[in-house]
Amino acid sequence: MRKVLKYGILVLFVTAAVFPFIWLLSTSLKGAEELFAFPPKLIPNKLVFENYSGAWNSVPFGTYLVNSVLIVIFSVTLNVLIASLAGFALARFKFKGREFFFLIVLASMMVPKEIIIIPLYIIVLKMSLADTLAGVVIPFAADGFSIFLMRQSFMSIPKEIEEAALVDGCSLPRLWWSIMAPMTKASMATLAIFSFIGAWGDFLWPLVVLKSPENYTLQVGLNYMLGTFINNYRYVAAGAVLTIIPVVLVFLFMQKYFEKGLFAGIGK
Amino acid sequence: MRNNKAYYFLLPAIVLLALFVIVPMLQIFYFSFLKYNLFEESKFVFFKNYKLLFADSNFRWTLFNSIIYILVTPVIMFVSLMLALLVRQQTRFTKFFRASLFLPVVTPIVIVGIIWRWIFTEENGLLNYLLSLFSVNQLHWLTNYPLNILSIMLVVIWRGMGYYMMLFLAGLAVIPREQEEASRLDGANKFQQIYYIILPMLKPTLILVFVTSATSAIKLFTEIYTIIPGAPMNNKTLVAYLYQQSFERFDFGMGSAVGVVIFLLTFAFSYTNIKLMEREA
Repeated sequence: MRKVLKYGILVLFVTAAVFPFIWLLSTSLKGAEELFAFPPKLIPNKLVFENYSGAWNSVPFGTYLVNSVLIVIFSVTLNVLIASLAGFALARFKFKGREFFFLIVLASMMVPKEIIIIPLYIIVLKMSLADTLAGVVIPFAADGFSIFLMRQSFMSIPKEIEEAALVDGCSLPRLWWSIMAPMTKASMATLAIFSFIGAWGDFLWPLVVLKSPENYTLQVGLNYMLGTFINNYRYVAAGAVLTIIPVVLVFLFMQKYFEKGLFAGIGK
Repeated sequence: MRNNKAYYFLLPAIVLLALFVIVPMLQIFYFSFLKYNLFEESKFVFFKNYKLLFADSNFRWTLFNSIIYILVTPVIMFVSLMLALLVRQQTRFTKFFRASLFLPVVTPIVIVGIIWRWIFTEENGLLNYLLSLFSVNQLHWLTNYPLNILSIMLVVIWRGMGYYMMLFLAGLAVIPREQEEASRLDGANKFQQIYYIILPMLKPTLILVFVTSATSAIKLFTEIYTIIPGAPMNNKTLVAYLYQQSFERFDFGMGSAVGVVIFLLTFAFSYTNIKLMEREA
């Protein structure tokens, strides 16, 4: 009896979590006449794949995709690299001002991104980075949470490894790159995935920075489609399905890293 | 090791954080005292922006709405803790359940908005159809205030439950099971175990979830922007108001003053969090 109740509740919530995606997929495959059919149909009579080509051709969807991919590649690489360097410094060295610098990292985690967009926009304007992909990437290349996570990871490496390497005459950059960074691979993977999800789904900042349609990311482009094709929801749905595929794939194949990351308290 | 070469490794992070987080944070306090827009020279006006803000009924409504959104927090805590307790035991289906519940979390918010706006559509929308099966009349999920607040709350809970479930699972993983086991042998039922043993030990996670969920409720924006873009400003939130002031009217002074208000609200939560964590330690 208790088991029935337990699985009953779980099935109810899992259905609630997944069904909207199935509905989106169904909408993206409907013909014009079925879109507003009453009662609504879950499985279309005829699968209309033209919505996908329609979405792709009615807006520069390929361009949005390329922009999003570029932003993700640079965001993830910079984020992991900078966090690894800083985490290494904060975890393995004693130097003047270390506590102060660590405090800056902690303080930066308390600043909501949403409220600093005004000064950031002005800085980006002054640096002539407005309406460029670099303007989207650079301001958020360093991230407090990521640095914090990498610091924890570097701190868990035993001191003997570092001492042995230094006695053998290993230089500091090599100590970082060839010896220590590989030992933090799991944290880097976790960080990369969260950074990927964040950069791929980011909306407010790209919306502020990017003005010309040829610089839009997928999220900004989809929002534009939502405003333009209000009566052609099938195209918007098809575009949304295409945009969601990479995240779902990454998520399904990397689920264990997700759980690890959340257990370490990152994300959001 | 003691070595001043550490500065080189730290340099990129500190420069970027200082330039793009710390300085901007200080700037919004400064800007909030300026008459500052893209069209004329900026000028110091003391508290005028704040006076204008609180005189604007749209601002007062968005402030009110943003605070109201914090009400999702208890619901989210209840739902996600319940889910965590249900999927805690490893069974054949656990992995599937966890993955499904986490799917909304990794989905970009714009897409979440696209999906739900369509479900909430009033004419022939899915939700109204489902309700009509129970002979409920068409509801105006998107246009009727405060019903549209409830609609957005539903989406926030839908998207957040998997995330907070994972945080609770992480918290539950470090609780030793002996006590639970002992209390079970002493005849405590499931609810007594949860109330007397699990909840007290889960306090740090409960605080973390409360603070995270409350602060993200205050910062709510993209859901509003994609699900009810056409609604009047007094149906929306503080960040939506900030966006309108700053990037539609280009009044950076007013926008910054809104930013300061948001900062103070979120700071109240994160400060409480730190204080409580200190007391725990």
